[in-house]
Amino acid sequence: MLPSEKIAIAAHLHVLLRRKTGRVTDTEWMASNADYAAEIVRFARASAEKDGHTDLGEWAAKLEATLAPTPPAATIAEKFVGMATAALPNDANQLRYIRGIR
Amino acid sequence: MHRIGRKWLLACALGFSVAAWGQTPTHPGLVAQDSLNGADTAWMMTSTALVLLMTLPGIALFYGGMVRRKNVLNTMASIVAVAALVSLLWFAVGYSIAFTPGSPWLGDGSRLWFSGLNYLKEAGKVAVSHVAPNVPESVYAMFQLTFAIITAALIVGALVERMRFSAMLWFTGMWSIVVYAPVAHWVWEPGGWLATMGVLDFAGGAVVHINAGVSGLVCAYVLGPRKGYGKEPFKPYNLGFTMAGAGLLWVGWFGFNAGSAVAADGRAGLAMAVTHIAASAGAIAWMLGEWIVRKRPSLLGLSSGLVAGLVAITPAAGFVTPASALMIGAVAGLACYWGATELKRLLNADDSLDVFGVHGIGGIVGALMTGLLANRTISGVQGDVGIQLLGVVAVLLYSATMSILLLWVTKVIVGLRVDDASEDAGLDISQHREQMGT
Repeated sequence: MLPSEKIAIAAHLHVLLRRKTGRVTDTEWMASNADYAAEIVRFARASAEKDGHTDLGEWAAKLEATLAPTPPAATIAEKFVGMATAALPNDANQLRYIRGIR
Repeated sequence: MHRIGRKWLLACALGFSVAAWGQTPTHPGLVAQDSLNGADTAWMMTSTALVLLMTLPGIALFYGGMVRRKNVLNTMASIVAVAALVSLLWFAVGYSIAFTPGSPWLGDGSRLWFSGLNYLKEAGKVAVSHVAPNVPESVYAMFQLTFAIITAALIVGALVERMRFSAMLWFTGMWSIVVYAPVAHWVWEPGGWLATMGVLDFAGGAVVHINAGVSGLVCAYVLGPRKGYGKEPFKPYNLGFTMAGAGLLWVGWFGFNAGSAVAADGRAGLAMAVTHIAASAGAIAWMLGEWIVRKRPSLLGLSSGLVAGLVAITPAAGFVTPASALMIGAVAGLACYWGATELKRLLNADDSLDVFGVHGIGGIVGALMTGLLANRTISGVQGDVGIQLLGVVAVLLYSATMSILLLWVTKVIVGLRVDDASEDAGLDISQHREQMGT
């Protein structure tokens, strides 16, 4: 998962926690420190259970998924895409969508 | 005498008949209702709807598909909001600045709040513009309103994914009045200074595309790059949306160009034909260029190429032959491919969706090739590359300078960029509290 995607999830959880529980969190730290993120996940789940905020539980699960050390095995579709893109020159693969979409 | 001759030629070039007035009209006014041309009026109303379709939902889909998932709704909301805001401003101020005689630089205030756009049933009178005396002025004002909308909407492509929604509204609103309306006056009102010099711009190569492209580039420089630009891949959300938007643009462009004949006549028919040929040539040229350079033809390349061809034929549509349109479209397809790739790297600006690369470069190519290829047998006017270049430079300088100034004003009022956390989270949630479903 890209760092920007982790931060996006952390930022969403930050907003939800602030709005629903009043708790202020550190978004950047949540995305980069596993211990802090785990504590936030625990707190979000506890609040979700206590006050019935189901969306807090959902976003806690998403943040927890970013903590997983190994990526999930590639699906058949991902393997197919990987084979197709492997046929392209390496430079083209790496630079696609960097510094522009065209 | 020379000045009058130029004006008369421009009037012919704009495609209006002087029969209803008995002489060349120089200002908006009331005429007998039976002097209107029903076919022209019907075509202009149809064209107005077609051009609005280009923005809503054409541009919204075209741009919305190219941004990252977390910014799709913000991009679409920006287009809808710009359409509504610019409509009100055009009604209040813009139309009067652009399409009343006034001075060579600005129109007068006689049409503020659409005043004077009368339909008087009992008296049998209706208001018409001197630029389009065969259709009701209400229809002509609405037709031009859709041009004002799409021009401002095009700029959004350069500033998406990091500009505050409120800042975008302040900037595009002020830009519509301070930049778009005066430039439209210079080029399209017969007394405008570029019009009297003989600059040819049939449907808005300079007024719409160079104007929006240059302003977009300025926005990109002033705003600065998006976080992660040049380091992370910014994957487009759904290029299917983009293709659907490009298709709507292609169809709507028939209203844009053939509608600019301001008549349902042979010239409008020719404008429609050359529009289609140039779009096709642009798509094929971009596709081939990409196929050779990158070894793969892409859907985004095809969609961008057809838009490049459409942009470039815009100033030329009422002045050139179908063969010339083929050439214009092909050159534009390749030039804009270069503009959105190599030139973009040289300019080192994060013009998010390549507004300058496609609209700026395409508009410049079209304006200059109009000077080269405008055929006297079609429109009665001969192109002049030097005069066209003057028009390009004038619009480019004015648009760039005023855009810098307006961005500074906007920054003072509300600030320009969202904060880092909001940019990371995406502008959908941070600016609108909305998100795409999974």
